Amino acid sequence: MIFPERGRLNRASAAVSLPLLLIGVGAGVRADDSSFTDTDDVGPLNGEQIYQHICQGCHMPGGQGAVGAGYYPKLAGDKKLVSWEYAAITVLNGRNGMPPFALPAAAAKETRAVRLSDAQVADVVNYVRSHFDNKYRATVTARQVQALPHPVGSMAAP
Amino acid sequence: MKEDVVSAAVSRRDLLRLIGVTAGSAAMYQAMSALGFAAASPYQGQVDLSGAPPGASVLILGAGMAGMSAAYELRNAGYKVQVLEYNARAGGRNWTLRGGDSYTELGGATQHCEFDRDLYINPGPWRIPYHHQGMMHYAKVLGVPLEPFFQVNYNAYLHSPKAFGGKPQRYREVKADYQGHVAELLAKATRQHALDDAVSKEDQERLLESLREWGALDQNFTYAANCYASDRRGYAKNPGGGLSARPIPSEPVGLGDILTSGLWQGIPNGDTFDMQTALFQPVGGMGRIGEAFGRELGALIRYNSKVVDIAQDATGVTATYVDSRTLGGKQTARADWCLCTIPLSVLAEIPLNVSANLAAAISAVPYASAIKVGLQFKRRFWEEDEQIYGGITYTDLPITNIGYPNTGFFSGGKGVLLGAYIWGLNAMEFTAMSPPERVQRALDYGSQIHPQYHREFDNGIAVAWHRSPFTMGCFGMWSTDSRAQHYDNLCQIDGRIALAGEHASFLGGWQEGAVTSSMDAISRLHKRAVAQGAKA
Repeated sequence: MIFPERGRLNRASAAVSLPLLLIGVGAGVRADDSSFTDTDDVGPLNGEQIYQHICQGCHMPGGQGAVGAGYYPKLAGDKKLVSWEYAAITVLNGRNGMPPFALPAAAAKETRAVRLSDAQVADVVNYVRSHFDNKYRATVTARQVQALPHPVGSMAAP
Repeated sequence: MKEDVVSAAVSRRDLLRLIGVTAGSAAMYQAMSALGFAAASPYQGQVDLSGAPPGASVLILGAGMAGMSAAYELRNAGYKVQVLEYNARAGGRNWTLRGGDSYTELGGATQHCEFDRDLYINPGPWRIPYHHQGMMHYAKVLGVPLEPFFQVNYNAYLHSPKAFGGKPQRYREVKADYQGHVAELLAKATRQHALDDAVSKEDQERLLESLREWGALDQNFTYAANCYASDRRGYAKNPGGGLSARPIPSEPVGLGDILTSGLWQGIPNGDTFDMQTALFQPVGGMGRIGEAFGRELGALIRYNSKVVDIAQDATGVTATYVDSRTLGGKQTARADWCLCTIPLSVLAEIPLNVSANLAAAISAVPYASAIKVGLQFKRRFWEEDEQIYGGITYTDLPITNIGYPNTGFFSGGKGVLLGAYIWGLNAMEFTAMSPPERVQRALDYGSQIHPQYHREFDNGIAVAWHRSPFTMGCFGMWSTDSRAQHYDNLCQIDGRIALAGEHASFLGGWQEGAVTSSMDAISRLHKRAVAQGAKA
């Protein structure tokens, strides 16, 4: 598999990242100490690249999903994808342990979340809905995604 | 405002004196704890579960630290205990991969650990700070010896490919230089009367003296290439014995270079409460604790059991489970009460009749993405070539950490490094790779710090926590907002079900969070059980 954009994703910016200890006391302490990690911006990746760099970690290559103690939904042939809004709201807000990908910058930093733009969310939704035997038309736009509920603070949209 | 603070402090002190005089030192200590002067461990010692109703039973879901510490205490208190565990082993995230082990991740990739005998990697937790008294208690009870874990090694590196031409810097040099320059600046400001408003004349003298000591400044309050500074940052030529003994001081790096490098971010890594010396690790790997718990609990744990449904009614809780290898052979287990330690990432997908508030809390916590890569090398070059004995190198490369083994020093044979410990986006990206590609990437990145990597590499293994079949993520990632909205609901007993685990704690990802949440939950369950009397 080729990851032409790999380098772009790895631009942890030591000189500008904020210290970890910005994490509020309310969030509690965590068992990690990666003082340099600052990765909230994926750069200009398209839908296919976002899927291959991020989504397939859980949803697997080819959208095959996986079953363990719980499961990662199989996106290949997933009937729920008939609703592009469902797919986009899931990417924006997260669902059942899946992280949200549209947190505001400060909230994303607090939880090490990754941020995608509305255009990227549209693009990855289009990619998933038009690949892996899914035959929906890839016509979702950034403007349409923008109109959907986004996280408020660090919380999923109510 | 200032006066208010002062008078509050005085009255608090007076209050304590009064308590000390009238009620003795135990009450004084208790009062100090309440006021925040003495930090008590969240582990309160063995929970009091006396008076368990005869025949009362508890079903425990998950044989990790939360489930097994609870099972141990409840069994000892006389409860009838059964534990269901998805894996074929005890421990959960308390886990060590050793030579000869195999691991199959979600997606089906199987890795065979080819480390030498006695060499290992802890894919999950790897350190126990001294104030995690619950974990230390169980290590002691179970007869698992602990040895030192070096969080800070002054001779390990801080590194950025964008700083100092990509040359790794020794921690002691960055720390000493940063501290020295800051001390010099502050001393200068003090002597130029810039702090006259904030610091009294007498305190300025003390401040200057303390800055000289803290920053290793010379008699002119300068941080310079001399023996004071070199005694912190290291020498160009170390002092020795005999005719060749004379030390040569080293040249400090300028403040601008330190600031531009960003390496100052790595200085406080041993200063946070959870990382402060002393820290410990079990001899032979963190998994020794889970294994010992598993032996102790024996037949109380049913392995290879995947819970597919949890249902409570007026008299008890029934869990339906299947064989986790075949997904067949449906069975049920029932008890009066249930302690559920299943990670929220998994629990959110299991049918469970609880209140809307608890259900919302269960679904509200995304799980952190994390990677660990273990790399075996043909020799311990970090010790032999670079005099790094244990501890951690930090880098802003995606691998983030290189952890050196805190055991087996000078052994002459092969050695295993923690070659990557990754969070956030980089972890997601590594998760999306195949295991061999993760190992290769860790090797490529790490070789920027240790050029010996490629020549000495032997074999490696990579664990991506979102590919872990039994947790589907590393740990619950609470935010301040989600804590405020959901945390208390998550921890409340719901009918006959209580949740426990690191996700039900303020110690995210720490085993101590699992243990203390379990002790808290079972003490509350016990109260309910006692209140209800004998088995319904």
